[in-house]
Amino acid sequence: MGSKILISNGSLADPETGRFCRKDIYIEGRLIKDIADKIEAGSGDIKIIDARGMIVMPGLVDMHVHLRDPGFEEEETIESGAEAALAGGITSMACMPNTSPAIDSPHLVKYVIEKADSTDCSIYPVAAMTKGIAGKEITEMGLLSEEGAVAFSDDGRCVSDARLMFEIMRYSVQFGKPLVLHEEEYSFSGYGLMHEGKFSTRLGLEGISRLSDDIIIQRDIMLAGKTGARIHITHVSTSAAVDMIRRAKKNGVPVTCDVTSHHLFFNDSFLEGFNTNLKVKPPLRSRDDQMALIEGVKDGTIDAIISDHAPHLDTEKNTTFRAAEFGTIGLETLFASSYTKLCRDNGVGIDKLVRLLTLGPSSIIGINAGKISRGKSADITVADPGADFTPAADSFRSRSKNSAFIGQKLYGKIKYTVKKGKIVYESGSN
Amino acid sequence: MLSKKSILQVDDLEKEDVIKIMDTADSFTDISKREIKKVPILRGKAVVNLFFESSTRTRTSFEVAAKRLSADMINFSASTSSLKKGESIMDTLRTILAMQVDLVVVRHSDSGTVKMVDDLIDIPVINAGDGKHQHPTQALLDLYTIRSRFKECRGLKVAIVGDFLNSRVAASDILLFEKMGMDVSIVAPSMLLPEDCSGFKIYSCIDDVIESADIIYMLRMQFERQGRKFYPSIREYNRFFSLNRDRVGRMKESAVIMHPGPVNRGIEISDEVMGGTRSPYSSVIIEDQVTGGVAIRMAILYLILG
Ligand SMILES: [Zn+2]
Ligand SMILES: [Zn+2]
Repeated sequence: MGSKILISNGSLADPETGRFCRKDIYIEGRLIKDIADKIEAGSGDIKIIDARGMIVMPGLVDMHVHLRDPGFEEEETIESGAEAALAGGITSMACMPNTSPAIDSPHLVKYVIEKADSTDCSIYPVAAMTKGIAGKEITEMGLLSEEGAVAFSDDGRCVSDARLMFEIMRYSVQFGKPLVLHEEEYSFSGYGLMHEGKFSTRLGLEGISRLSDDIIIQRDIMLAGKTGARIHITHVSTSAAVDMIRRAKKNGVPVTCDVTSHHLFFNDSFLEGFNTNLKVKPPLRSRDDQMALIEGVKDGTIDAIISDHAPHLDTEKNTTFRAAEFGTIGLETLFASSYTKLCRDNGVGIDKLVRLLTLGPSSIIGINAGKISRGKSADITVADPGADFTPAADSFRSRSKNSAFIGQKLYGKIKYTVKKGKIVYESGSN
Repeated sequence: MLSKKSILQVDDLEKEDVIKIMDTADSFTDISKREIKKVPILRGKAVVNLFFESSTRTRTSFEVAAKRLSADMINFSASTSSLKKGESIMDTLRTILAMQVDLVVVRHSDSGTVKMVDDLIDIPVINAGDGKHQHPTQALLDLYTIRSRFKECRGLKVAIVGDFLNSRVAASDILLFEKMGMDVSIVAPSMLLPEDCSGFKIYSCIDDVIESADIIYMLRMQFERQGRKFYPSIREYNRFFSLNRDRVGRMKESAVIMHPGPVNRGIEISDEVMGGTRSPYSSVIIEDQVTGGVAIRMAILYLILG
């Protein structure tokens, strides 16, 4: 006998049908009992969420976050990351293996899964493709899969050795797991601090050419075409990359891709004040690239939107632009920033946005999430498209405050997050 | 008074500010020619030279300027270990603020750091060079030197020769020169240019500009720089970019040669053109830049603190 919740009068965005229309949802215990045009509350102890004017959607899925646990617990832990995720409407996420030690052996996969169990968020470990993320030897991908790794990635690093990448791809096919690829050619990114372009010249900051991403993406598309490996290019940042992936998909190469909410929201012109929270990898690129990413969202080339939540200590960001670490946090702003940029500013439909934040990523990593239907686990997020907020450094639940979105006015505040039938976040509750 | 409290980049200066600084510098040039080169205008004011990157020329120039105006000058060299850079900057600023100073002159090897300092403190800050970003007082003294020579700057043709990619001097000069209506081109090999050069007039050999330029501005070429070095050799550089007797002979009669210093003899400019304690060519006005530098910095200190 669980608790009862009625979400009434909201507009339900269902990524499976693509429909966006008014529905009531009735939750009993951990499950969705009913979805209908009108559900009466009945009598008894029932919590009613009045979702008039709000977007009701499956609990969001973020397939690319850094939880820093184990090893960098001052920046984030699995627990604090889960809190931040729920505040961002995210009820399922996949965490990257570049911890210390790296998630490259089965007992570390187990560590993440067990620790995640104590939180209200579903957390799925992505395991390293190479031991220690050193780009030298392939990990025990079989044992790691059996322990529960949902994908493989050396995120934060790129496997420079083309032959090794080829063998990783061939091997991954045997376990049916996708490879999440951070694409970076080091001879181009080297000392670079931001996108190589007009603004890097003006600011005197070393540039990172688009070729850094594009060369490796081209290489890996060729390798995937050859091996049949399922590759997922993460944090796509350039216009040429969107084109290459669009073409590869057309040619039947098993490739998917995602874009971060900050690459959608910003471009390199925002770096004029030397704001270190905007120092990210790959770098924020030109306005043309940003528009190409938005175009890629519209035409379906891009399959998911991620936060690439990358927590860093104040001391790692309150320093010179050169010395600052790369990365921004993003769990708590993922929905609002994407909604603001895509739906409000660029006319993307809410159905499309919700798909990229739910079923898009969940089907890539093969997890049971991102759907909303009768009998399913009640993972539901409610956001208010009319409610705006401006993040400040002290408004985050994440242990780290390094958000690129500080000071930006965002629409689409998360009002409620429901996980397994329980209200795990309510805005204003803090 | 200038339109902004601090001078962090050329972009902060309105055209009126630039003219005001130039005119003020003119009046201070006379002081530097007197027997007693000192006026009590800034008596009681304290200025700090905060240099995170070593530099003798710029530091000394500010020091001389401050002293000629009777301000107290404190030299503060702070080392920067790459670790904990942010904290070391903050701790240094804390110390300096405790000394109750009125203005800070800052140099740092990382672009954007002078702005960071300015954001952290309330007193005026002058950028004496930050990474590859800008060196606005150098641009002002360059403009001042040109103005002293040519009187009217509008329409002058300037060719900036050499390592544009790594030069904060070039970045600042181009902005200021263009603001004042001058016609700027860049002479550099591909590997010393950014990927995107649209908006710049680019030449690949100094011979392309030597006969038409009013000002040949030579940049320092550092073969031993951080980062990867792609330029093949000094010999090749000499062939396409260096100033030698022959090239100087082909310049316009009124044209001048400038350099931010120190010159790498035999690389940017040949020995025979440089000469001994002074150049045999009156077109070489590198020392005028140094003299003008003091006057410009006096003018800036006066306009901010006076
Ligand atoms: Zn990455
Ligand atoms: Zn990442």
